[in-house]
Amino acid sequence: MNFFNLALRGLARNRRRSMATLLAIAFGFAAITLFAGYTHNVYSGLARQSIHGELIGHLTLSKRGMKREGKLNPERYLMTAAELTAVSKLLYQEPHVRFVAPRLALNGLISNGRASTIFIAEGIEPLAMKTLQEGLITAREVSAGVPLSFIKKLDPAHDDVVELSAGLVDLLHLSIGAQASVLTSTLSGQANAADMTVGGQFNTGNAGSNDKFAYVPLAFARSLLDAEGRADRLTILLDDSNQTEVTRTRLQQKLHAAGFDVEIQTWQELSDFYQQVHNMFDMIFGFIFSIVLTVVLISVANSMSMTVIERTREIGTLRAIGLKQRGVVRLFTTEAMLLSVSGCGTGFLIALGVQFGINAAHISYIPPNSVSAVPLLVDMDSVRIVLTLLLMVVIGTGAAYMPARRASKKIIIDALAYV
Amino acid sequence: MNTALNVFYPTSISPPAAAAPTQVPILSLRAIRRSFMLGQTSIDALQSISLDIHPGEFLAVWGPSGSGKSSLMNIIGLIDKPSEGEVVFNGQTIHSMNDDDLTEFRSHNIGFVFQNFNLVPVLSALENVMLPLQIQGIPDAKARERALSALIDVGLERFQGSLPDKLSGGQRQRVAIARALVINPKLVIADEPTANLDSENSRMVVELMRTMNRLRKVTFVFTTHDPRLLEHVDRKILLCDGNIANDKVESQHEFL
Repeated sequence: MNFFNLALRGLARNRRRSMATLLAIAFGFAAITLFAGYTHNVYSGLARQSIHGELIGHLTLSKRGMKREGKLNPERYLMTAAELTAVSKLLYQEPHVRFVAPRLALNGLISNGRASTIFIAEGIEPLAMKTLQEGLITAREVSAGVPLSFIKKLDPAHDDVVELSAGLVDLLHLSIGAQASVLTSTLSGQANAADMTVGGQFNTGNAGSNDKFAYVPLAFARSLLDAEGRADRLTILLDDSNQTEVTRTRLQQKLHAAGFDVEIQTWQELSDFYQQVHNMFDMIFGFIFSIVLTVVLISVANSMSMTVIERTREIGTLRAIGLKQRGVVRLFTTEAMLLSVSGCGTGFLIALGVQFGINAAHISYIPPNSVSAVPLLVDMDSVRIVLTLLLMVVIGTGAAYMPARRASKKIIIDALAYV
Repeated sequence: MNTALNVFYPTSISPPAAAAPTQVPILSLRAIRRSFMLGQTSIDALQSISLDIHPGEFLAVWGPSGSGKSSLMNIIGLIDKPSEGEVVFNGQTIHSMNDDDLTEFRSHNIGFVFQNFNLVPVLSALENVMLPLQIQGIPDAKARERALSALIDVGLERFQGSLPDKLSGGQRQRVAIARALVINPKLVIADEPTANLDSENSRMVVELMRTMNRLRKVTFVFTTHDPRLLEHVDRKILLCDGNIANDKVESQHEFL
């Protein structure tokens, strides 16, 4: 029996009710699709911000225990020049490793000659900084108004020219080209000071760090810490973010086999902010998703219950002329499935229209704990769209199961006598 | 007579075969009782009915309202089971069949014509006639071919694409008859098939059923209140208070 055709005609029977149910599904699907698209854009932006903006890269390699004990005993946990060379060589043998950058963190006091404040700095080679930031801003974001000044630059020709966070520049009343002094401790605990020139400023994107963060050339950092040729970690950039976990595993095995006692962390593990935002949005998404699914469930169940009541005599007729109970169930669940698929299809079109409108409107907003506006952009998250479609169709079809089963159990003579 | 129906009444039609008592009955009811609960009270719609229906019979069940006609038709049509007694269809005892088996059995052996036509309103006349075949699992192309042939038999091929609400009452009932006959049933049950029709359409519908009975040797059992229709049946069973008050085999009739 062509259930599909019969179900399709059945839906056309009470168009107003079918349309109301279809729209409930459609708007629910559109809401989920748009929110999923928004979170996808946020996740993608945060991932790029972590990997390329915060210069975390995809993987960070350091000696085992560096994160916990490194500050107390830097001499022991810093990698030597020979170790850096040997490890880098092994890293570059991996197919997805695109770039490896030695890094050296330091902190101390920074002064404008009249006042001083604490600073936290990252020592990185200027070329590494440039390479790590490639892909930070997409063309769509540029067209949506994200300034290219987001890109941080260190001067490869001058080791004493640094990038300071905007809050730090403001705090010390510095300006581009101004001189400042830094005071820090060497690896052996001796005080060490140096002059430097403000080459540029940047926003960390975080109010908590925007008045104390700095990027300095790796050579400058090594000089201040008296750690010639050394680094506390290696930042690894891959050519494909999806290979992060696989590459980590392979590198760990490979380096362990080569006798290096190192630990490798992924960018997700190092970016607390990314994880927190991800968890929060996942929670909200789950909440919205469950509300929408409940609406779909109730709408379809209600619609199909009314349909079953209206068509009681028809059910009796079909049963009399040979349709089995499971055939009745199949008929009504097919109707619900068609309704769900049509609703999701309509919802997808609505979502496409709204997405276009939002992205074209150049809306921006300042996220919590941020110092700069970000554009509100919506992606199409194909994985979640497909999963939502499947789940909504299953829920929609399932919602019709009970009314359909009830219909199939009707006593034929009672159904035929129904008025 | 409606010209569209002339085709069904060739003068060469032989007289209907009278129900031969020696024939093996197509359906046998033995001591059938059917009771329903009305609140706390049990009502016997059928008290103790025993009857045989033979192949090719054109049989009317009649009687006053509440006499048990519909209850008897439901049991003959195998859409209801008796509270007591035995139903044997074509030598097969129905009692032991589960719902799926019984439904399958009905789909191949029994056609139904209802008082209110009971056509699926969103399907065309042709699609309505195709429905029992599709339920049987017959491929669409074959089902379409057979359904069209059935519609031609009832003179409605011109209306094959029409939805039921575009057809007159008589036409709808003819579509329903085509739907009942398309499966080549052994038995057609028609519960008050003319109750919602005017006299002209009633006459046409009964003529049609009678013709099909003669041409195809299909057994027809129908209920009616209309005494004019009773004049044209082979056998009429009068029900009264759930019992057979009279079971009379008529002599051969001239056609209407």
